[in-house]
Amino acid sequence: MKNNHSMWAGTGLLIAALGVGIYGMSSSMASSRYNSGYDSDEHERDEHNRSYSISSRFQNRVNPLYEEECGSCHMAYPASLLPPEGWLKNLDNLAEHYDENAEVDVETLAQLESYLIDGSASLRFDYRRWMRRGNGEIPARITELPNFQHEHDEIPLKYVSGNDKVNSFSQCNACHKSAQQGDFDEDNVVIPGVGRWDD
Amino acid sequence: MKKFITGVLALMFWVNAEAGLTSTAEQLLQDYQQQGATEADSESGKSIWYSTSENRSCSSCHSNQLKDMGKHQKTGKPIKPMALSINKARYQDSKKIEKWFLRNCKWTFGRECNVQEKSDLLSWLISQ
Repeated sequence: MKNNHSMWAGTGLLIAALGVGIYGMSSSMASSRYNSGYDSDEHERDEHNRSYSISSRFQNRVNPLYEEECGSCHMAYPASLLPPEGWLKNLDNLAEHYDENAEVDVETLAQLESYLIDGSASLRFDYRRWMRRGNGEIPARITELPNFQHEHDEIPLKYVSGNDKVNSFSQCNACHKSAQQGDFDEDNVVIPGVGRWDD
Repeated sequence: MKKFITGVLALMFWVNAEAGLTSTAEQLLQDYQQQGATEADSESGKSIWYSTSENRSCSSCHSNQLKDMGKHQKTGKPIKPMALSINKARYQDSKKIEKWFLRNCKWTFGRECNVQEKSDLLSWLISQ
């Protein structure tokens, strides 16, 4: 009887070992798989920031493929920062991406496109307000959006391009510490070497 | 029996941890040979790595030392070290290796690297 027990225990362990082996082999494949799932529920925010909670379901989605393919070289700009037309302008020419080569294969391109368009700025509740100052043309660069320029027009260039801890307006997270999470709340802006910024 | 099972478990963990890593790069080196490359020459890979083309070289972003962190020349984004001994994760996926060869050879040299160059570069990187 005792022998029987240890035999079963042994078989169990062996199966577990095989399972671990198979898991190990498949985990690398799983990690690169496209993940289109929404992130967990929106955060509750206070009254002042209510506007953020409405669109945070778009802002807070994290996509491993996007992080890997685009976020290796620059901040993985939240999808909600650019309208679909803007994203497509970028995706259509990744071989010449602002003087860099950022080519991806056709399958990856389709997945990136679907992720970015599904969470793009045109789904924001405040999208019309965002775009109302512009001439209707949708730029490829977030920094050329009418609302972006309006929000940043009082910041002296010496704090940005003349500041080697920032360098350019494209480095959102240099001053917006939670930019990667889609949080651009003015109250959290700290310009390196300058300090809190509140206009 | 118990010792045997523990041994099998330990062996499987070890196989999982080690085999996948080196073999991906080594398999890729073999693939390059099948595609026409002669045996990989890591010294030649080293000289390609440090060569410059119109002020651009691999070290523009990856730093002069393969074991150090690099930094994207334009965006300043930190880049993990290239040396296999420091960063094994880089060499686990041949598709990923090919992707970066394509992107970065085009940026650095203005053209794709051929199989011989890729073979030499890869053997230099994994020897570090």
